[in-house]
Amino acid sequence: MSSEEHKATFEKLVQPHFERLWRLAFRLTGRRPEAEDLFQELLIKAYQKLDDLVAIEKPGPWLSRVMYNLFIDERRRFARRRMHTVDEGFLPDGGFEGMAGDSDPVRDNERLDKLKQLDLALSQLSEEHRIIVILHDTEGYKLEEIHKLIGIPVGTVKSRLHRARARLREILTIGGTFS
Amino acid sequence: MHTTDAEKQDQEILELLKDYPMPDATAGFYDQALARATHEGTRRQRNRWVMTGFGSALAAGIVLWLLGGLFLTAPDIPQPDPTIPGIAMTLEEPRTVNLVFASKAALDNATLTVTLPAGIELAGFPGQREITWQTSLDEGRNLLPLELIALTPVGGEVLARLEHDNRGRTFRLRIEVS
Repeated sequence: MSSEEHKATFEKLVQPHFERLWRLAFRLTGRRPEAEDLFQELLIKAYQKLDDLVAIEKPGPWLSRVMYNLFIDERRRFARRRMHTVDEGFLPDGGFEGMAGDSDPVRDNERLDKLKQLDLALSQLSEEHRIIVILHDTEGYKLEEIHKLIGIPVGTVKSRLHRARARLREILTIGGTFS
Repeated sequence: MHTTDAEKQDQEILELLKDYPMPDATAGFYDQALARATHEGTRRQRNRWVMTGFGSALAAGIVLWLLGGLFLTAPDIPQPDPTIPGIAMTLEEPRTVNLVFASKAALDNATLTVTLPAGIELAGFPGQREITWQTSLDEGRNLLPLELIALTPVGGEVLARLEHDNRGRTFRLRIEVS
């Protein structure tokens, strides 16, 4: 296969999964620059393993798993030496102010405040809890899909999800979001 | 059946989570990522072959040095430059050094290369004298913690080079080991 054919095959295999992979990258990292790095690293790795990729029946889950493993490796290797801002906040870029609301400005503001509180509460969860609750409750991954992605038993996914939600409720109650 | 407060709150949390914002990828990002992947993927595969050859050459080089060392005097010890910032380390005790990079604007895809003197290692990268990775800087002060370990009492200079859009800057840090 020529180099151009390699590229064309690669594009055909990965492109249909871009949006889902981008969402996963952003949900895992919580920040655009890190999500872009992770997405990029995944594509580089996948291109190097093109022969494997071609032979896989469903490239989507395989790509997601490779991305998750890259994320974990990156966390292990670079957790202490990645560059970060001194006054770093957790708010996802794009922020909340730009969100479309409904027609009631008071209700919009209340909701915006609650989303900000939720964001803060999520940042206080352990990483394993944060990832599971976001993948399941925000992105709609099934327990089975999370099990395959993360490599932990379905029962453990379920119990972590339960604990993560309970912890969120606790943080939000203490923070005054819920009375 | 009553709906408890906890159930109501759980329901509200679920609704908030469903609305948790998610930015789209920036325009052109996917195309750029694809182009970089095919270019970089090819380059890294080529480098893997080069590294295999380099590893053999390095192993041979070490053998030659050891043989030579039997008959020659001690190798030259580099003289540290006292005008650049320095830190003192204790042999075989990890120490975290924080490098601060101030940036006037956010920079994506900057390349950072850390070059270490012989006998100083970056935790997690045993035996590597040069480590390169892509990173992003936010506007303002960016912190890079490096966990260093001195394996010999020689010391030397750590170089951290940051490059972006064909511009670069090198930071030097003098290491003294006791």
